[in-house]
Amino acid sequence: MKLIKDVLGNLNGVIQKNKFLAKFKPVLNAMDEFFFGTSRVTSLPYILDYIDIKRFMSFVVIALIPATLAAIYFWGLHILAMIIVSYAFGGMVEVAFAITRKKEIHEGFLVTGLIFPLILPPATPLWVVAVGVVFGVLFGKEVFGGTGRNIFNPAIVGRVFLTIAFPKIMTLNWPLPSIGVGADAITGATPLALFKSQSIVNSYSNLLFGFCSGSAGETFRIGLIAGGIFLILTRIIDWRIPLAALSTIFVFPHLSNHFFHTTFAPGLFQILSGGVLLGAFFMATDPVTAPFTKSGRWIGGIFLGVLTVLIRGLSGYVEGLVFSILLLNACTPLIDTLVLKVRYRRK
Amino acid sequence: MLKPFRTFKGGYRFKNYAGQPAPVLIEADIPKQVVVPLRQGFSSEVKATVKAGDAVFAGQIIGRDDESISSPVHSPVNGIVENIKRMNYFKRDINMVLIRTTNSSREITRLPGYASEWWKLSNEKIEELIYLSGVSSLDREGIPTRFKSSIVQPADVNHLIIHGVGSEPYNISLDLLLEGKNFLNFFEGIKILKRLMPNSKVHLALNARKPKLIEQFVKLTSQIEWLDIYPLEPKYPQGYDEILVPTILHQKFPYGYSAANIGIVVLNIQAVLGVYKAVAEGLPLIERIIAFCGPAMKENIHLKVRTGTLLGDLFYGKLKGERPPRVVLNSLLTGVLMNDFSLPIDRSFTQIIAIEENNKREFLSFMRPGLRRDSYTRTFLSKLFPNIKKIADTNQHGEERPCITCNFCEEICPVGIIPHLLSKYVKKGFIDETIMNYGIFNCIECGLCSFVCPSKIPLVKYMKAGHEKLIMQGCDQAQCILPYFNLKGLEEYRGVTKL
Repeated sequence: MKLIKDVLGNLNGVIQKNKFLAKFKPVLNAMDEFFFGTSRVTSLPYILDYIDIKRFMSFVVIALIPATLAAIYFWGLHILAMIIVSYAFGGMVEVAFAITRKKEIHEGFLVTGLIFPLILPPATPLWVVAVGVVFGVLFGKEVFGGTGRNIFNPAIVGRVFLTIAFPKIMTLNWPLPSIGVGADAITGATPLALFKSQSIVNSYSNLLFGFCSGSAGETFRIGLIAGGIFLILTRIIDWRIPLAALSTIFVFPHLSNHFFHTTFAPGLFQILSGGVLLGAFFMATDPVTAPFTKSGRWIGGIFLGVLTVLIRGLSGYVEGLVFSILLLNACTPLIDTLVLKVRYRRK
Repeated sequence: MLKPFRTFKGGYRFKNYAGQPAPVLIEADIPKQVVVPLRQGFSSEVKATVKAGDAVFAGQIIGRDDESISSPVHSPVNGIVENIKRMNYFKRDINMVLIRTTNSSREITRLPGYASEWWKLSNEKIEELIYLSGVSSLDREGIPTRFKSSIVQPADVNHLIIHGVGSEPYNISLDLLLEGKNFLNFFEGIKILKRLMPNSKVHLALNARKPKLIEQFVKLTSQIEWLDIYPLEPKYPQGYDEILVPTILHQKFPYGYSAANIGIVVLNIQAVLGVYKAVAEGLPLIERIIAFCGPAMKENIHLKVRTGTLLGDLFYGKLKGERPPRVVLNSLLTGVLMNDFSLPIDRSFTQIIAIEENNKREFLSFMRPGLRRDSYTRTFLSKLFPNIKKIADTNQHGEERPCITCNFCEEICPVGIIPHLLSKYVKKGFIDETIMNYGIFNCIECGLCSFVCPSKIPLVKYMKAGHEKLIMQGCDQAQCILPYFNLKGLEEYRGVTKL
């Protein structure tokens, strides 16, 4: 503790002497706040809740730990390298903007930097990760004014950008996990793609425990469910969006599957394949980009579910979740405005 | 009759804070000198009826004004009036009477005409006793009598709500107030009030976590038809009039006006005990039980003090630590700061809370397990171990950040408005009918939104600022209220401002 204090103190001294380095003050401030907390005191409510944004965001990271560890276990240290690259390059964009804006560095990036590599295919080259995260943070968040003002989830923006810019890398490269299924073979087909091409429904236990191909963080579904429930119980995320989205994704295809066996996969398979659990618990619930009204959250969740199933079933894309979340993000202000209009209409 | 358990939407239960007052009552010494403000409780300022040099006795009326809405003020000690001067008392300049004690006997001169068998007294006499004792100025709207002590007349009162819910982080002990014979006295006090306001239905709201007390009351009042007992969850801000009225009566509250405007009088337990003491024992209101609590207080006890005692005298040697703690009146969320120890206490005080001024930084503060940390979220271990006492200090526990619309403030808001949305409008300067439509005038400034915000945004400040700016632009809360309510006593209300 003393050591860190000394290091920060010395760095502060160095920075203040050099005119160029002085611009990096926000970085030092962020480190200082990270380690030592605040000395500010309250004014009118004389006591304040102990929760702060740092703890808020670290709980999302904690909830993602099982899925992250499983990803590293399944696909090796390459995943760890992807996470490090994502944090490093995303962090650079964040710092660059904090310096030019002369503002503090905000903690929202802790979550984006971890979620982004988890929604990429496990064999994504590191330079693609870097390009994606830079684009995501820059055009998903910073151009709108930084944390709290972004319309789109930065991780999703990066992912969609990569899907469109590098379709080969992003859609054809799906290695199987190193356990449960055999050697490190490139299969080229996720469970969803297998259903689309040959109507094969993967076994549910394989899907639950992650013995199948898919994006890095989405396959260990037991861990994702546990993480999501943990977040709901700690009140970090609201239960309405995941519940609405998952039940729609279950009920809607369940009905459509009766009529179109090959177009719509059965409900449970829809939930347990692709990024539905990761998206419903960790990305659609991002407080900044999701609707904030309670009824808006129900509407948003249902909207998300319906769109996901429709894109999966009827479009040329195999997975529809990222696009649905992006569309939900775009519709969020509209949903909220409509809900407020109805709630506060003049009598 | 016992009614089923009730609660309201939103709010937050502050559980088990360190330094709660123990149910111990200690009688403070008679002060050597007192300063009596001529405006105490719900009352406009009264005219002094004494002048410098006069000898006064304990219980003598030293200020009275029958023209305006007010109640008399008494001398709390036997002594000599030294001076009457204008001083700043809680952001208002008012006249104070300085009295030097000459005889420190505890005797209090009784009011004329009281009777321990109060039911033999006439209604007029009871009203007079309540008015002359000063009890009629207690609580938000006072007790109505024909002497203009409240804004309505006794006959206009439809509902009388008496509450002892105790929803603040620090509360005066209900067990102590209703201990021994006070329990029966309290009940007699209710009967007196019922006789005074014959058209009213009486509602007694009690803390649902005190089943023994509720049981005792149910036994005692099983034969009485005009009295209902409501166990309420001690969730902040249940004790507010604005929340009590909808919870108990399922009736809308005219936010920004007082309960008396819709014919409801809300009193707490000490006021009812005061009524009994005035009518049956003839005691003027010059003593008050005050809880001295909080982690920065050496002893967490209740003191029976004379009004007008200086804070400095009461606090002498009672505070912990080298640095002065933060001393707050009545509520840690909305209370007034009391950093000037030369001010006196008055009859409206209930709790005085001292918490440590904590501006120390803490290593990796946000990663702590938090056994003793209170939070609306369940991210601290304290939610798993509710028996461990929680800390209250003045640290902000985090840096200011932009709003991430986590919606905690809407979830916790007891009046169902969206503080984060309104604060954004106010911050940007969009002050118009939209925010009025979104209910900014419903805000009761309970402080929960600021308390709960993880981004540490001072939401209450924005709400207050928006409120003031709207009124400056000519939008008045009357527009939201008057068309929908039939309010009583509006003319009279103008004379007295809210405390």
